[in-house]
Amino acid sequence: MNMQIFTKLCFLFIVVLGLTACQEDIYEVYEINSVEVLPVNAQKNKAKTDAQYVSILYTNFFQVPIGPNKLLEALDAIRSIGDKQISYDIIVSKYLNQSPDLPTKEEMYADPETFVYDTYKRFLTRQPTEAELAWMLNYITSNPSLAPDIVYLAFATSNEHYYY
Amino acid sequence: MKRRQFIKNTAGAALSSSLFPYILPSGIINSSMASPLADHVVFVLFAGGVRQQESVLMRYLAGSQNENVEGNILYNMLNGAPPETKIAYGQDDTENDLVGHIPIDALLQTPLESQGTLFPEVRYAKGGTGHFGGLLTGVSGNYSSVDVGGLQKRPAAPTIFEYLRKHAGFKATDTWYVGLGTSGSRPLLNHSLHPDYGRRYAGNFIAPTVTFGSPGQNHFMNFKNYHETDEWNKALEIRNFLNQSFSKEGFEIPHLYNTDSEDNSIKSFVKSIFAKNGNIFLPPVNDNQDLKVIGYTLELLHWFKPKVTVVDLSNVDVCHGNFTGYLKNMHRADHGIGFLWREIQKIPGMAGNTAMIVMPEHGRDLEPNSIQDDNDWYAYDHSGGNSRRIFTLMVGAGIDAGLRVGGEGNPVGDAADVVPTIADIFGIKQTVYDKGLIDPNARSLFDRL
Repeated sequence: MNMQIFTKLCFLFIVVLGLTACQEDIYEVYEINSVEVLPVNAQKNKAKTDAQYVSILYTNFFQVPIGPNKLLEALDAIRSIGDKQISYDIIVSKYLNQSPDLPTKEEMYADPETFVYDTYKRFLTRQPTEAELAWMLNYITSNPSLAPDIVYLAFATSNEHYYY
Repeated sequence: MKRRQFIKNTAGAALSSSLFPYILPSGIINSSMASPLADHVVFVLFAGGVRQQESVLMRYLAGSQNENVEGNILYNMLNGAPPETKIAYGQDDTENDLVGHIPIDALLQTPLESQGTLFPEVRYAKGGTGHFGGLLTGVSGNYSSVDVGGLQKRPAAPTIFEYLRKHAGFKATDTWYVGLGTSGSRPLLNHSLHPDYGRRYAGNFIAPTVTFGSPGQNHFMNFKNYHETDEWNKALEIRNFLNQSFSKEGFEIPHLYNTDSEDNSIKSFVKSIFAKNGNIFLPPVNDNQDLKVIGYTLELLHWFKPKVTVVDLSNVDVCHGNFTGYLKNMHRADHGIGFLWREIQKIPGMAGNTAMIVMPEHGRDLEPNSIQDDNDWYAYDHSGGNSRRIFTLMVGAGIDAGLRVGGEGNPVGDAADVVPTIADIFGIKQTVYDKGLIDPNARSLFDRL
């Protein structure tokens, strides 16, 4: 092989080597911003006024807004007992007694999952978490004497229902 | 057990109880509690701004209307003969169309003044003489609450309820404020905003003419007391679960730390009063709101037997525009006080070991305003120096009988004294003094004797 051919081959080898050589890997690092995981109800941090509480409660149970005179009277009744948890328990119980729009026990036990979803939405304006759903379903199915008004009483007088 | 062993045990128990500090129900140990002078105290804030002239000075119309008629219209409380002419403070004589012409019969054979101790000239020393300022001072022993407080605000300084719950270990249902109504700041007088006290140590509050009046009848009556059923436990279990899912510091319905059993007792009380349908322990004459409040207060005393009960009466405040109405309502407030004291002596557990304190929240002006009533009598407001003159009457367990301390030219006592006085009765006076949150001039009335 003469020198000229050898040079050409070397050149060709270098060209081929250059074309087929490994390339430097470029590693791109994708980061995420740190996010604090909060409970689903964490954004509820404002207490309802008595007027907001009663208006919402009344509309929820009777499906009509409370009239202004009736509202003022309800507020007066609530203010007449110092322990607000007690006055709320009483007024919720009174309204539950009169409410025309309560699900029946049969409806609750026929489809407890729907009942739980509906109740969370109705009182807490959100869906239950998986854990909440599981707890509620277990509670309902293991308490065959439970009536829907008891569940409603608990939801309507819970701390979360008092906040928005 | 043999007699000797019994004596040994008894002596040992007595010795240990005197040597070791008191352990409060909350678990707090209070080593500075003295023995209580009485088991129960009823404090009546009487009755909406009362002038000395028509009360302890017994001047009837002579001190106000240029009519030369003197006499005592508070004869259940004070010693003294009633007026003989121009009777307008009693019940109406409808047959002869004479307003207030029939005085209400005395209920007590011996007026409270003779049964207890009267401070006839007490000072409302500081701040404006407004109703809520007076009520605030009465329950907090501090005038500065008046400046920070005002309408629709809670006291800045702790109330007597908070002192007693924190330092004497009282339960929430041991302490009650019975309000004439819900107007202004009344429902806020059961606890302060003080960071060391506050809602955690609040007294219970009720405005019975509202709870059992039209508002309560339309929004409370016929409620189902789930406490009385097994269902309540289920409701509580679900509510507790929900509250655990929403457990954020301080984010809760503002309750007063009544225990579940107290909560139940309050609801049962409310239900029981509705069931009485108005047939409560009313005084013989009960034609104004004050007297109805007295009736409900007696129901509450029967039910809870509270350690301390504060009652406010306010119908006398018609004096801004109706002097005759003022006289009539003052006479009725006296009737109510006499009835209250008489009936307390029939309550098992309270009879014989209850002290009662009666004090107007403030006085009224010396000079009238320009308003005249149907008798052409002038009305009186409350802003001048005369409205700083009040009296304080104490009666019952632990209180000397027939004592009169001070007089018109020698004022003894301060409107802020009642809080340390009640603290003294329950053995925590020194603790209350040491906290430094009452007016610097406030002292137990027992220390002013």
